[in-house]
Amino acid sequence: MYRYIFRRTYQLIIVFFLFLVTSYLLFDAIPGNAFQNLLLNPDLPPDAYEQVLALYGLDKPLSERVFSYVVNFFKGDFGYSYKYYPKTPIELIAERLPRTLMLFAMVNIISFYTGFLIGKILAWRRGSKSETWITITSVFSYTVFYPWFALMMLWYFGYKMDWLPIGKFLYPEKWYDSPYDSDVIFVLMIKFTVIVSIIQVLIYVFTKNIESLSLKRNVRFIGFLLNIVGSYFFWNTGDALLKKTYAGDIAYHMILPVLTVTVVAFAGTALLTRTTMMEVLKDDYILTARAKGLSQRRIRDRHAARNALLPVVTSFIFTIVTIIDGSVLTETIFSWPGMGQLILDSVLNEDIPVAMATFSFIGVFALIAHFVADISYAYLDPRIRIQSQG
Amino acid sequence: MKNNNNKIEKKLRREAFSKNWKLFKQSRLGMVGLYIVFFFFILTILQPILFITGFWNEAVYHPVVGYDDLTSDFIVVDCPKEYPTEKYQSRTDCPARNEVNIKTLFYNTAEVGDTIELNLQPAPPSRRHILGTDSLGRDVFSQIMEGSQVAFLLGILSATLGVGISTLLGTIAAFYGGRIDAYLMRQSDLVLMLPTLPLLFIISAFAELKIWHLAVVLGTIGGLGGSVITIKSQALQVKVKPFVDSARITGGSNMKILFSHVLPNVAPLALLFMVFSVTGAIASESVLSFLGLLNIEMSWGLMIYLAQVEGFIFSGMKYWWLILPAGLSVTFLTGGFYLVGRGLDEVFNPRLRKR
Repeated sequence: MYRYIFRRTYQLIIVFFLFLVTSYLLFDAIPGNAFQNLLLNPDLPPDAYEQVLALYGLDKPLSERVFSYVVNFFKGDFGYSYKYYPKTPIELIAERLPRTLMLFAMVNIISFYTGFLIGKILAWRRGSKSETWITITSVFSYTVFYPWFALMMLWYFGYKMDWLPIGKFLYPEKWYDSPYDSDVIFVLMIKFTVIVSIIQVLIYVFTKNIESLSLKRNVRFIGFLLNIVGSYFFWNTGDALLKKTYAGDIAYHMILPVLTVTVVAFAGTALLTRTTMMEVLKDDYILTARAKGLSQRRIRDRHAARNALLPVVTSFIFTIVTIIDGSVLTETIFSWPGMGQLILDSVLNEDIPVAMATFSFIGVFALIAHFVADISYAYLDPRIRIQSQG
Repeated sequence: MKNNNNKIEKKLRREAFSKNWKLFKQSRLGMVGLYIVFFFFILTILQPILFITGFWNEAVYHPVVGYDDLTSDFIVVDCPKEYPTEKYQSRTDCPARNEVNIKTLFYNTAEVGDTIELNLQPAPPSRRHILGTDSLGRDVFSQIMEGSQVAFLLGILSATLGVGISTLLGTIAAFYGGRIDAYLMRQSDLVLMLPTLPLLFIISAFAELKIWHLAVVLGTIGGLGGSVITIKSQALQVKVKPFVDSARITGGSNMKILFSHVLPNVAPLALLFMVFSVTGAIASESVLSFLGLLNIEMSWGLMIYLAQVEGFIFSGMKYWWLILPAGLSVTFLTGGFYLVGRGLDEVFNPRLRKR
């Protein structure tokens, strides 16, 4: 087992090294570079372009640049952004990442929860009319052409009904005389959300072993209510009271993206849960549970759904890996200034340090997730372990 | 003897096909999906037929360079600055249908209240143009047909290529194991690490992407990525089955076992993957066209892109024929392929069946 982990780690380092080199070569293959618009400016001296290139080290041959980039990368030096000059890529990522994570963590949690509930019911009511209609709706929202759907949502809720803002992160006119930075408010919102969800998870965990289903549901509902009352008091006392309007502004801008992505994302989970649950329902222990005379709800929630949860959780982990990749389109359409926009912006402007930093960030994220998944599979499934020793 | 064997094989195949078809027909949604795909397929082959038989004139109905000189009478009005007024509820209601804003008339000496004859673009649906025309006077229905040709060509080509690559690599990885397996798995890790959309942006920046190129690029990225891992795990299960051992004992070479015993048993899963990856390829093409990054003359994504760039999306349902058909076509064709895939899943996976 340790030998397996060691071998995987050393392969992982090689893959990461290859990944860095490949991405650098890809960025270099884009014609032109970030400073070419200097050539178009007639007021600049003719050698300004060459001087700027020399300043950023872009006049050196490709092999030397790749080598120095990789060496500096492992030293922890990511260089400076070409477009936002005094800022480093790390600063930019630190600014943008929380926005993407907050938006998509929220979307994923909501959509996985509702998707799991819906999928459970779908598998249970197999063959009924309601199952067919819910399935058609889920397939529609699973395969709907996403940019088109997002634009239709923007048009309906943002323009025709005028309930919600059309894109962007905040209304600038509300923030002119604001004593706070928007990032400070946003970090506070993240902290608040994390604490509330931890409390909610704790309530869930502590009530897990209550035998009676109705008592369990009531206790959970009371816990949920307490959570809401607690957060109401939090936002209406002390320092948070002053920040409330600004936080509300950001939250108001979050509603439409969250709603749209949730509608698109829940269906995948629902359909997956339906399939796995239908496989589980064929198993013998479900028959045993029925023979024991347990109630239908108990069989559905305790015996079938628990076992159908495993593949869903796996797919949840893999969805988390693709969050940043998947955010490109959403953030472009809703003008949400997060990681997706940063990647797109840096790729289109050939801001190589920022693009490399974002790519390697995603790469590290994905590698670690795959590594953990592989190790846990090897731990759970002896066949893979034996295979890989050969 | 050999002839007889062939006959038996053929008969067995026909029987298996009819049995599977019966199973597929049991899933109603799968049949709905098949009908949808079939409908779009008819649209695909109908357009060339209409052009060849001369039913449609190419100068008028061509999806890219066609132009129809439709004119209509318009009443000249002066749109107010403040809304709402008695006649108009909001800014989008003026000018209403059959009206034209005097401020948008150039080189014209018309007065408010006059009736003038102007080109009607985009023209609403009529008998001549079933889904109307776009802002350049091109027939939208013909564009939808052209878009479905692109979608079918690209989807099926890239899915076949991708699934071919991943099936071959997945079975080889499972069958030989060891170093080859490690190499192939790390390669698919590498492909999975690269974010897809930014990668396609980069490729579209230095390569001129037409349908064929895009099909190859999408197929390769899809084929080297995650599906190799899934097919490998399926092939691992096949590899430990008794018939592989007995084939080895009777003296089958590695190649023989790989191609005539392991591959056919992975094929159902590969077919399933293929149907699902058609969905992905069509969606990717539409997204790239929607962002204006491809060198394709007409496609569904491009139609939505044009509608968005020209500002018809936020005009609401006034110009519905520019917004709804293209978006719904992408949705329905991908949905149709998805439903077919689900039906096939029930055929190949007995545990999903009703009984």
